Amino acid sequence: MNEAVLSVLKSHFGSDKVFEDSTHIIDDLGGDEFDVVDIVVQIEEKLDITIPEEETFDVVTVSQLNEVVERHAGSN
Amino acid sequence: MLGQIKLVFFFIMLMGAGGGLWYVQHLKSENEILTLNNAKLNDAVEQQQAVIEQQLRDIEAKSELNRQLNENNAKLTADLKLAEEKFNKVNASGERRDIGNLALNKPKSIERIERKREQQRARCFEIAQGSPLTEEELNATKKSQINAECTNIANPNYIPY
Repeated sequence: MNEAVLSVLKSHFGSDKVFEDSTHIIDDLGGDEFDVVDIVVQIEEKLDITIPEEETFDVVTVSQLNEVVERHAGSN
Repeated sequence: MLGQIKLVFFFIMLMGAGGGLWYVQHLKSENEILTLNNAKLNDAVEQQQAVIEQQLRDIEAKSELNRQLNENNAKLTADLKLAEEKFNKVNASGERRDIGNLALNKPKSIERIERKREQQRARCFEIAQGSPLTEEELNATKKSQINAECTNIANPNYIPY
């Protein structure tokens, strides 16, 4: 998993939580749709990248979030 | 002499009878006044009882109104808490969520979420007006499956975790 993604997730939900690929951001971490947007914004700021909004609409798991970030982390 | 004594006794008896008659008349008069006063007092008692009964009904009505107000207040407080959580949620690092900032950065995402919430609110009104729950609503047990706007009435089988 991307270090920045893990760092933001831990900072946002707490380091005591388990962050696996299959972890559901809403069901397992107690977040909501706004949290997903918030996390994406934090990751963008941390990595200085821009992720098109449309790509994050259906992100609900840690692996989906990681995939979207990985696609743009090296290209910006 | 005997005739004079009889006459004196006669007058004494006559005066006694007159006094007795006057006393009885006086008692009757007082009795009538007391009867009238008693009737007035009974009327007053009945009026007071009616007033007391009305006051008890008023108190009962006010208590019911107060109960309803408290109930509505509890619901509104719960809704307010949800709204506060939505707009002012604090993350594990103690940072408060800024919806305005998110909307500036990701307008489409926020609009999409709000549109979904709007649809959920509309469904809440339908349910409140008697619309039966769907299988999906009844079977919702995960947070991502619930109607976030009125979980209490839309998803009876959802237990917050």
